Parts: sequence; structure tokens; C-alpha cells
Amino acid sequence: MRKSTGYLFREGLKNVWANRLMSIASIGVLVACMTIIGLAILVTSNLNKGMNDLQNENVVMAYFNDKNSVLYPIDGSQIPKDKNISEDKYLVHNEEEAKAVCEKIKALSFVSNVEYISADAALENYKNNYVDGDSAYLVYLEGDENPMSMCAKVTFNNLDNFDSYKEQIKAIEGVNVVVGASDVAKTVNNISDAVAVAGLFIIVILMIIALVIVSNTIRVTMYNRKLEISIMKAVGATDSFIRLPFLIEGIVLGLISALLSLGITYGVYALAGDKIKQALGGTGLIAFRTMLPRLAVIYVLLGILAGIIGSFIILSKYLKKEGSEFSAL
Amino acid sequence: MFVVGASGAGKSTFLKLIMREEKPSGGEIISNGYKLSKLKHKDIPMYRRTMGMVFQDFRLIPTMDVFDNVAFAMHVVGADKQTIRKEVPKVLNLVGLQHKARALPFQLSGGEQQRVGLARALINRPKIIVADEPTGNVYPNMSYEIVELLNRINKAGTTILMVTHEHNLVRDFHHRVIMLENGRIVADNAEGV
Repeated sequence: MRKSTGYLFREGLKNVWANRLMSIASIGVLVACMTIIGLAILVTSNLNKGMNDLQNENVVMAYFNDKNSVLYPIDGSQIPKDKNISEDKYLVHNEEEAKAVCEKIKALSFVSNVEYISADAALENYKNNYVDGDSAYLVYLEGDENPMSMCAKVTFNNLDNFDSYKEQIKAIEGVNVVVGASDVAKTVNNISDAVAVAGLFIIVILMIIALVIVSNTIRVTMYNRKLEISIMKAVGATDSFIRLPFLIEGIVLGLISALLSLGITYGVYALAGDKIKQALGGTGLIAFRTMLPRLAVIYVLLGILAGIIGSFIILSKYLKKEGSEFSAL
Repeated sequence: MFVVGASGAGKSTFLKLIMREEKPSGGEIISNGYKLSKLKHKDIPMYRRTMGMVFQDFRLIPTMDVFDNVAFAMHVVGADKQTIRKEVPKVLNLVGLQHKARALPFQLSGGEQQRVGLARALINRPKIIVADEPTGNVYPNMSYEIVELLNRINKAGTTILMVTHEHNLVRDFHHRVIMLENGRIVADNAEGV
């Protein structure tokens, strides 16, 4: 057998060309399946990336318990008439203390970023983001009249327990109130999970479909080559001698298909990426380069798997039978 | 040796049994030292290598040329390149096809294809050649040539077991004739008919 390995390897390669019509059919089926699987993987990865981006955007504002928080309660309760409030009524008296609170928030495991925002900066933000048109009247709110509290923009590294995270931040001494869109966070989290599950489900189903189609194509090939197999058996070929060229042939077809699929996937992806960019004006898709190793591994594995399934499982059916050497084909 | 008989007499079953395509339901077949009823699946290829087979429909691999079709049987037994390069032309010479070594089967006549089949059966120097109606698909004038070739091989010391329908061949070549009917031997003439 060892002496024949080189010969069998060459035979396998020759068979790809000798049976080129069936080879083209097998490659066509494999390429179609692999490309669909690849595109499904790319779509899922991009959706996941989109969800992650959304998660990163999702921040809460932690307003500190400073003088303004007592003067202008965020919960809308009565504003005290006397603006001279003794310092022991609130906890954060100056920027240093506010930054210390920021550090405490940052120490929490689920917090990825804390950005300190001074009262002045908060007012500036308010002017820029919330006031349409003429903001001249806000000039009265500047300086000592600024009603804004010092606050921090807190970004979470995940949204698994959004409400509990908010509570934990609120429990820190010096934090008055935490504001954040908890419903949005939950929805994003749910969609993200759904995308992951649905993506996996679709990919698994596509892989099963691909294997069924490929094994059927190989079955047709085998049927066409029953004569060859019967001759091999008649002259005393062992099962592994018959199998090896088929195995090599299957793997070669799988590898060619993998290469073609990568090219087609790249083309479709580049085209779709441009269109999506044009339509949404967003940041576009994940770069194909970063997805290439994963896709290449998946394609090559699928191709090799198809070759192995073809030569082993289906050929076994023909090899087990002792007959067909003399019987009419 | 010729094996003759009408359709359904048991000729094909006899061949299937001797090639161990089928297991005997009773009794024992001993061929080339192998007890066929006890032969395991993995040992069947080894047994078959001790025999050569010639088929009515030639059974050449259509995508291989004449040389490769013959060499194929040598690859199966693990022969090295040098031996193959030396032996195949010799056998092709013996069957008179050395000039057609690179032709594909469809480029050959029926008689030539059968001679390739014969070369393939001969290449590993088997002790027995089993021929299943080897003249069934060739022109009558070629039939004699084929059987003449088998006759020469036989004289060189190889047992030939030929199943045939053609009575004139059996008559003209004086060899042992076994006649089958309903699965039983009804005549066995050592000197032919």
C-alpha cells in the first residue's frame, strides 16, 4: 500500500480532470453552499458588530450630589427658596471630590469608561444638543446661575444586568441619581442574543443542506464509476486502495471549491459593502481581511469534510458488497 | 477447460463462487490454496490476486489508456515503477498490442479491447485465468485469435477456465469440457468433444 501511495495520489488528481463534468457539478454545488454559508456568517458577524457598537454607545449619566442637586432637584420636587445651603447638605463640594467619585465608579467591574463632566460643560452640552435655534436666553444661566449638576458619563462593558449596574452606581456615596435608557439597553441586549442564536441556527441548517447536496452529488459520481470500482475489486484491489484516489479527489474538489467560494464571497461582500455604505452613510462593514482567516478555515474544513463523507460513507456501500464483478452493471 | 451449458444452467453462479463474489451455501471450494467458504472480507483481494479475470464486456477503465489499464493491475499488488515499466510492454507484446499502448479503450476494436483485458489478467502471472465468455463481444474471426492466445498461455502452464456458448470453439480446441445443467455437472469430458 505504501509503495502505491504516490500512484494513488496522482490517480486522485487525474480523476478530477478525467471526470471533469462531474467535478464541475460537484464544485458548483459546493461553491453555492459554501458561499451562502460564508455570506450568512458575514451578515451575522456584521449584525453582532452593529449591536456591539450600539452597546458601546449606550451610556448612563450619573449626576452627583452637589449644591445644584439640592437647589434644583432632578425629581422635580420643590425648589428651596433659600439658595444659601449649608455645605453639610450635599456631598460633592468641588471638582476634586467629583473626580474622586468618578474614580470610585470606574473601579466597578462592569464599567468600561467614566468621563467627568463639569457643570459648565454640562450646560454647554445642553445648549448644543437640546436647544433648537436661539440659545441667547441661556446666557442668564451661565456662571453662578448655572443649574446643572456635575456629572459623569458612564459606559458599561456589557448590558447583562443593566438595572443592577445602575443601582450599584447610585449606591456610591456622592451620586445623586443615575439616568439611562434601560429599555433600550434591554432591547439591544435581546436583539444581540437573538442575532447570535438565529445566525448560528441558519449557519447550521445551511451546513446540513450543503452536506446533503454534496453527498448526493458524490453518490451520482459513484454510480457513474461503479464500473471502475468493480474492475478494481476484480483485480484484487483492497478497500483502502480503492478509497484513497476517491478521497484525494474529494479533498481536491473541496479545496478548489473553497478557493472559488472565498473569491465569490469577497466580490459579493465588497459590492454589498459599498451599497450599504452609500445607503446608510455609516461606517460600513467589517473589513473582509479580518474575516478572511475564519472564512478560509470554515471553507477548507467544509471542503475536506465533503471529500471524506463522499469517499468513506458512500463508497463503503459499494465496497461492502462482494458482488458486481460478474453481475451485469 | 471449457464450462458450457444453456442459459440458467449455473455458469454465472459457478464463476461468482470461484471468484468469491458469492459464498457457497454448502460444501467447500478450495482454490489456489484458499478455502473460499471461510475467506474473510479483507482476504478476498489477496485471493483474487492469484487469479486473472477476463470479462465478456472487457471492463476496461475508459479514462485510462491501454498501458495504464494493464499497469493498474500491477499497482493494485504494489509493484514498483521499474517493474511495471518492464513487464507491461512484455505482456502487450504477447497479446500483439505493443503499438497501441497509448490508445484509449474507445479507440480499439472489440477484439483489441479483449486482448487488453487478457493482458491485464496475465500481468501478475496468475495460476488460474477465469474467462467469462471472452469471445461474446468480438467478431467471429477474432474469437479464434482470442482462444488461440488463451491456448498458448495454457501451454505455458496457466490454468484457463473459460465459460462459453460457442460450440465450434469447444469442438476445435481439444480441452476438458464440463457441461452444466440446472446447477449440476451432467458431463465432464477430459479430451473435449
